[in-house]
Order: sequence, then C-alpha cells, then structure tokens
Amino acid sequence: MDHPNTSPAKTRWVFVMEPERCIDCEACMISCSVENEAPLGKHRNWIVKIDKGIYPNLSTTFLPENCHHCSNPPCERVCPTGATYRREDGLVLVDFDKCIGCKYCMMACPYDARFVNEEKKAVDKCTFCVHRLDAGLPPACVETCIGHARHFGNINDPESEVAKLLAKHPYYRLYEEAGSEPAIYYIYSNRVIE
Amino acid sequence: MEHIEFHWNALIVFYLFTAGVSAGAFFVSGLATYLGGERYKRISRIGALIAPWPVMLGLLSLVFDLTKPFEFWWLFLTVQATSPMSIGAWLLTLFTVVALVYFLLWFPRPWRDLLKAPQRRSAPNTPRIWKPLDQAQINKARRIVAAIGAPISIGVGMYTGVLLGAVPARPLWNTPMVAQLFLVSAMSTGAAAVLLIAALLRPKAGHDYLHEERRFLVSLDIMLILVEIFIVTPFFLHQALSTWSSSSSLRILLGGPYTLLFWLGFVLLGLLAPLAIEGFELFPVVWREQAVRYSRLWAGLSATLVLVGGAVLRYVIVFAGQVSHFLPLYTR
Ligand code: SF4
Ligand code: SF4
Repeated sequence: MDHPNTSPAKTRWVFVMEPERCIDCEACMISCSVENEAPLGKHRNWIVKIDKGIYPNLSTTFLPENCHHCSNPPCERVCPTGATYRREDGLVLVDFDKCIGCKYCMMACPYDARFVNEEKKAVDKCTFCVHRLDAGLPPACVETCIGHARHFGNINDPESEVAKLLAKHPYYRLYEEAGSEPAIYYIYSNRVIE
Repeated sequence: MEHIEFHWNALIVFYLFTAGVSAGAFFVSGLATYLGGERYKRISRIGALIAPWPVMLGLLSLVFDLTKPFEFWWLFLTVQATSPMSIGAWLLTLFTVVALVYFLLWFPRPWRDLLKAPQRRSAPNTPRIWKPLDQAQINKARRIVAAIGAPISIGVGMYTGVLLGAVPARPLWNTPMVAQLFLVSAMSTGAAAVLLIAALLRPKAGHDYLHEERRFLVSLDIMLILVEIFIVTPFFLHQALSTWSSSSSLRILLGGPYTLLFWLGFVLLGLLAPLAIEGFELFPVVWREQAVRYSRLWAGLSATLVLVGGAVLRYVIVFAGQVSHFLPLYTR
C-alpha cells in the first residue's frame, strides 16, 4: 500500500526505534527535558514497558516513544483554533500563542503524547526538536541514546539510516487502527518472537 | 486500574448538560407553539423564558475550563471545518442569539413593549415612528423565530454528542450512539425543565389547561424516553459483539466504577422511574379516554428524575470515555 509517509522528493522526518536495544536508562527523557525545558513531572518522551510470559519464563521489552507526528493527526483535526498545525515536512506543532488550552487534542491523541504545560498555559508535546532540525542537528534524544535504539532521518531519502533500516527489517507502528498514520516505526524484536 | 488523569472534568459535563437543556427547552417551546397555539401557551412561554440561560452558564463553564479563559476569542477568529468544537462554538453562539430574541418575544407585558418595530412613513421626510408590536405581529414573529431556531437547537443537541464522538482514540465515545442519545436526552431534559417550572408555578384557579399541557408534555416525554431505550439497547448489543476496544469500553459500564451510576442513576432513576410515573399519569387517557391524572408532586418528581438522569448520563459518558482505550501494546 502506498502510505502517506512516503512520497519521494519530499522530506519526511521519521523515527525508527529498535526496542531490542533499549535498556530503559531514560537518558532520552533527561536530555529532552534539558533541551526543551519540559515542566517538572511532565515528559515529552517516555518508555513503555511491556512484560511477557509466565514465571519463570519472563521477558520485558522497552518501547521508546514520543509524539508520532502523524500524517493524519487526530489532534490537528479537532483543534478549534488552528493552534495545532502540520508543517510541510510532516512535523505536527503547537502554536502556544493560539492554544487556549481546551484539551480537545489530548482527548484525540491515541498515544496520549500531549500534556498541559502549566507554565505556558498551553498544551505541549514533542516537536522532534524542530529548533535543532532547522539548524541541521538531530533531536536531542537521538544523540544521547546510549543503546542506539532511537534512529532519526528522512524516510524519503534511500541513503538515510532510517530508510536502510526499514528496507532491511520488518517493522510495525502503534495503534494503526486509529488511522493516524504515525511516523514512528518499530523494528520487530526477534528475541521475543516465539 | 492504572492511574488515569481526567483532562475533561465536571465543567465539561455541566456544559454538555446545560447546552442540552437549553436546546430541548427551546425546541419544546417551539413545538408547543406550533401544535397547540393558545392551548399550550404556558408551556411555550416557560420554554422560551428558560432557553437562553442554561447554555450561557454552560459556555461560561467551558471558558473557565480553558487554561487561558481570557483568550477564548481565538475560537471566533477562525472556522476549523474538521473540529466539532470550532463548529460548536459558532453554533452555540448562534443558538444563544436566537434564543435571546425568542426570549424577548415571550416576555410578558409591559416589558415586551420595549421591542419596537418601525412603522411605514405617512409622508416622505417625516421621521420614522417606532411602535410596540401588536399581538398579531408578536404571534407571527414567535412562529418565525421558533421555526428558525428549531433546526439550530437540534444541531446543538447533536453537537454535544458529536464533540465526543469525533475522537477515535476513545472507543466509548466514537460511536453514533453518543450523538443520538445526547440529542434525544437533550430534548427530554429540556421538556423536563419546562415541566418542572410548570409544576412549581402556582396554577391559576379554575384552569383545566393544566391537564391539556400535562398531557402534551407527558406524551412527548414518554416518547423520548422510549426512543432513548431503543438507542441504548442496540448500542449495548453491538458494542458487546464488536472489536476488543468496543467491547472492553462497554465493560467499563458493565463492571467498573461507573456501573452503579449508569444503571441506578441513568437507567433506573433517569429512564424507567419517570417512564413509570408518566405512564401512570397517562394511563387513564389511553385506557378509558379520561383526563390525564395530574398532580404537581408527580410532575415535579418525574421532571427532576429526568434532569438528574440526563446529568448522570453525561457524567458517566464523559468520564468512562476517557478510561476507554485501544487494545494495549503487546510485545512483538
Ligand atoms: S502522536 Fe498524538 S499528538 Fe502526536 S501527531 Fe499523533 S495524534 Fe498528534
Ligand atoms: S488545547 Fe490548544 S492545541 Fe489542543 S485543541 Fe485546544 S487549542 Fe488546539
């Protein structure tokens, strides 16, 4: 199927995560909070912990997650003021000035990626570090990931790391049934597939 | 149960409830005007006099639920065609304006005479004279405004449900049932609000209009309650037989913190009890073509129950909906 994340000749930033490499050190959460000054107790990125099996054959997998910058973002669709908008390169961003804090977008996001930023009196979330991207740098969490579980790049550039990873490994996305066309790809962790 | 933060809370419940009551009261008033004219005049007037106020309180509570209450005007700088909240903000404003005009038209004399219409000039260059509307003009104006407002009030009633339904991420909301149920319940709570006020007012001595209007309102309310039951029942069947997200969202209502509230508060007190009371009142009419049984106590009680049931319904749906979710992530 042709899906909206891939149309050549356009930049489309995506994450490719390798849950198998994530050790739940949460360095990405720290570096994000330092980079983006998220208020105390709120996070723009997080790790989902999934336990599997029956004692004594147990395993835990860690899924690094943040806003999926969906191609068909439910949050943007419901925003009544246009504060949440989608950039040409696929980034879904919030204009803090226009956001009145109705929290409708928080109801609509299938990933619960959004939170109320009490300091800004607006709704906040991951921006893929847009200020760094525009300066030619990768997102902060990618740089600090010590397990190299987080990969970032332009999916429409066949030479990019993310495109190569996706060409080589089977992958999945989260809650695809929501129709949101998320831009975070997860590589199957072969270790836990029986 | 894992810890869940409710980002939409009682203020939103209040807003959805009050918007429904206003829409219903307006619609019932218009219906009475068209169906009964003079006979149901008291109902028309009560409906018209209460219609604008609940929704205005509700809008106020919505504004104070924002993180920036004093910047709510951003809502009115744009129309976002895909956002029910944007459409709703405009719709509710329009409704409030129409309801206020309607309110003025039903205002008792002498205050109503503040409404004036320009008269035709007797000769050119003489100043225009503004005169209070006469009774025929008033009657006509009431009918016109009621007709304009009726589709808008239906829109408002439906919007309260669509607001929640437009969100796929919350499977309990994302069904046509919510809009249908909220619309019918809006009409029902509106009728109940009118009934309640009518029961509280001391009737003028020697008037049998009470039986007439009671019969009208009770028949209407019974119909609406039956429709609600016919909406809820297939909804339960379908959700139970649907995907994991749907059937698990139903389980929140069948066994969880909202179960008692839903079944006791909404189904029993809000639907079945008023249905029984109103059925009892209407029974002589259907059975032996006698006058409807009327007592202000029964009327007030069933109306209060319908109102409480409507509020409970919205509370349960708003909160339980935020608990409902997709099939949780699993390892792959
Ligand atoms: S993950 Fe949530 S907040 Fe991010 S774009 Fe998708 S719907 Fe919007
Ligand atoms: S909280 Fe802000 S960004 Fe979210 S829907 Fe409301 S106005 Fe838009």
